[in-house]
Amino acid sequence: MKVDIQSLGTFNELAHEGAEQATRSMCQMTGLDAVVDVTKITLVGREDVGEQLASGEYVGVQFDFEGELAGETVLVLDRAGSETIAESLVPGGDVDETMARSSVEEIGNIMMSGFIDGWADYLETTIEHSPPTYVEAMGEEILPRSDGDDERDQVFVFKSEIEWVGESVEFYIYMLPEYDSLTSLMASHTDAERDAIPVDKLEVFNEMTRDGTKQAAQNVEMMTGICTEAEVTRLSFAPIEDVPKQVGTDTYVGTVVEFTGVPSGFLLVLFDEASAVHIAEAMMPVEMDADELTEQHENAIEELGNIMTSGFVDGWANVLQTSVEHTPPRLVHDMGQAIVDPLAAQVGQHQEHAFIVDSEMRTDDIAFGAEIHALPNETELRQALDELLVDRADQTEADVEQIF
Amino acid sequence: MPDVLIADDSEFMRNLLREILEEDHTIVGEVENGVEAVETYKEQQPDLVMMDIVMPIRDGIEATDEIKTENPGANVIMCTSVGQEEKMKEAVRAGADGYITKPFQKPSVMEAIEDVVPS
Repeated sequence: MKVDIQSLGTFNELAHEGAEQATRSMCQMTGLDAVVDVTKITLVGREDVGEQLASGEYVGVQFDFEGELAGETVLVLDRAGSETIAESLVPGGDVDETMARSSVEEIGNIMMSGFIDGWADYLETTIEHSPPTYVEAMGEEILPRSDGDDERDQVFVFKSEIEWVGESVEFYIYMLPEYDSLTSLMASHTDAERDAIPVDKLEVFNEMTRDGTKQAAQNVEMMTGICTEAEVTRLSFAPIEDVPKQVGTDTYVGTVVEFTGVPSGFLLVLFDEASAVHIAEAMMPVEMDADELTEQHENAIEELGNIMTSGFVDGWANVLQTSVEHTPPRLVHDMGQAIVDPLAAQVGQHQEHAFIVDSEMRTDDIAFGAEIHALPNETELRQALDELLVDRADQTEADVEQIF
Repeated sequence: MPDVLIADDSEFMRNLLREILEEDHTIVGEVENGVEAVETYKEQQPDLVMMDIVMPIRDGIEATDEIKTENPGANVIMCTSVGQEEKMKEAVRAGADGYITKPFQKPSVMEAIEDVVPS
């Protein structure tokens, strides 16, 4: 089964427009001002769906839907956001818990109906949905756990992030389509002669990336002695202009390399500032005990970024039986979006959408977090996937002793 | 003690290698790119070159090729973060005598050196 880039783009746009429609409904009813920040399709391990919700307290409104497209969708608000909505619907009123719950349920109903209707109109079909179910939970528990296709490790997720203008509140629309339903639909809208990618190869590529992240985490552990684990790996697809938003506005320290070959593109290894200091300290033979980054810290981060980059891309090269060259690492220290903006602009000269590979690693020993973002050239990634032999997917490591 | 030239664009890695090697080796130079590696090799004629691959101006494989053309008996160990099979084969074709992947620890470095320049 294949999907083409244009279909992925169209489906992403549908989800985005659906989220915009839902947000307009909400704004109209409440008088609040909100905009859809970013919508992306992600192929992610089942256990990692919703990990960005961390451990906050959320309320949500869930639906099942069925028809040509089947699955589940949920509007997710943090507790404060849901209270603001309830108060705006009953201005000046005394909002008790029952009323608050009912108002959120109803607004969710209206929003999500608009979201699903857009899909039905595009597909020229009817998509039935269940009555809304109000849910409260911590973190990712707010998301539905489908028992429909549990045998699959990876699932497609559509996620829209909606920003409340002037407030530090965000909410989300997640759509979790049944895998077979979505892939059949995408395949039926695909022009196989044009630029189609076999879906199973996308999954294999995601697994290779997961291996690459594990290797990068092992490299960190070996250089620092800090037990490090690869936490999340996902392959997302989004319009090129939304790519910088994936990284956000926090300040990062890390490295950028440009890689050439098939595929070419950029790879970023980013640490938040505190993690960068911690990890650099751990790499040094003598204790620096500094609060800020010194030149020695930066040298250490530069080399760590270099080694993590190799750990990440070597597996691709070995599976694809090719070589992926990369430039020496360039140290970056800036706001996330400012780091990614020029890279996205460069990649965007040749493509409207981008695949983005995101990985995260964490450790319990010290406050440490690292992210790896890859921004491959879309045409070359497609070519690489075309050449990928699925049964070589586990051959990510080269045997030095066999060659020397 | 064998003379060693270290070629790596990372100051951090040059320091680390120096710390590992200086007890049993004489470090005759530390350079940041392939051009400097070739020049310093010609000047110093060290017993061993520890050569990174990804370096600016000229990479370590090209530099190894040039050093081996100049002196086929030169000893060069690639000391790199790159773990790609095709790259290892390129290093063999350029004449590299050994290959260590970063991150490494002292025993693996010493073992690779012993293989190439037995004490």
